[in-house]
Amino acid sequence: MTVATIDGSTIIGESILISGSLNGDEDLTVRGRVEGTLTLTKTLVVEPTGVVKAEVQVKNCIISGAIVGNVTATESVEISREGRMVGDISAPRVIIVDGASFRGRIDMGEVDVEAERETRTVVSRPAPLPSRPALRPAPRPVPIERKMEEKTVAVAAPKPPAPPAPVAMGAVKRKVIVKRK
Amino acid sequence: MAGIEKVPSPRSGAHTVIGSSIVIDGEISGDEDLVIQGTVKGRISLRESLYVEGSGVIEADIETANVEVSGQVTGNIAASDKVELKADCKVVGDIRAPRILIADGALFKGNVDMDVKETKGK
Repeated sequence: MTVATIDGSTIIGESILISGSLNGDEDLTVRGRVEGTLTLTKTLVVEPTGVVKAEVQVKNCIISGAIVGNVTATESVEISREGRMVGDISAPRVIIVDGASFRGRIDMGEVDVEAERETRTVVSRPAPLPSRPALRPAPRPVPIERKMEEKTVAVAAPKPPAPPAPVAMGAVKRKVIVKRK
Repeated sequence: MAGIEKVPSPRSGAHTVIGSSIVIDGEISGDEDLVIQGTVKGRISLRESLYVEGSGVIEADIETANVEVSGQVTGNIAASDKVELKADCKVVGDIRAPRILIADGALFKGNVDMDVKETKGK
């Protein structure tokens, strides 16, 4: 067969539904639907037409479509402008841009005491957050520097989504939290 | 970050590619061509063509319009149009389709039934 294959790139087309478990060591682009569990050692890209209802474990995750389920990333999770997500995120770097909608909890790993304390106090407050600078500029390549920055972002990021209950994931109702800045 | 750019599809109409390091355990269904270079266990039902490439391994029942196998398939294949077993493929299972082509060099074990007129393939 003479298929010029682009190795290391898997695409799930728009009309495709995969239900079950999907594992792999390469980038995956989802334009269709994936349900079940999704485990990758590389990057998951959910495009605007893509819907993922799964427990997701990846290195990087870029969401322009919809994810319902918990996402654990070893590097970063980015919800872009068109992205919608319901579920919990666990990743050292979490980027949620203006226009994205998200409901769930975020865990960025160790957060320093002060940041943690503030997060807690804020949880009880239903009002939107006070002034805060735009979430984060462009991603920076230096991981060390990032560590520092994470903490400041950590203060900000978990606030809006922090729902009172851990039920968030199961709840069918989608509450859209749009952050404008 | 991985490209959102459109990768030129290996075949016209093939938008979905399951890469060689991917393992899917479950069900795949859809209305478009599917190229498999990785491993799929479970069930595949499509309305279009399925291409199992050399590196592809399938342990699943397949229901589609067309199937082209260069890799390995274990399971029954039901196609509404055509099944093509290319050289170097390995297929174990029953095949049901109005047109079945087996190339020289293909390994096949199972039953062949070409006596289907109705449309299969979901």
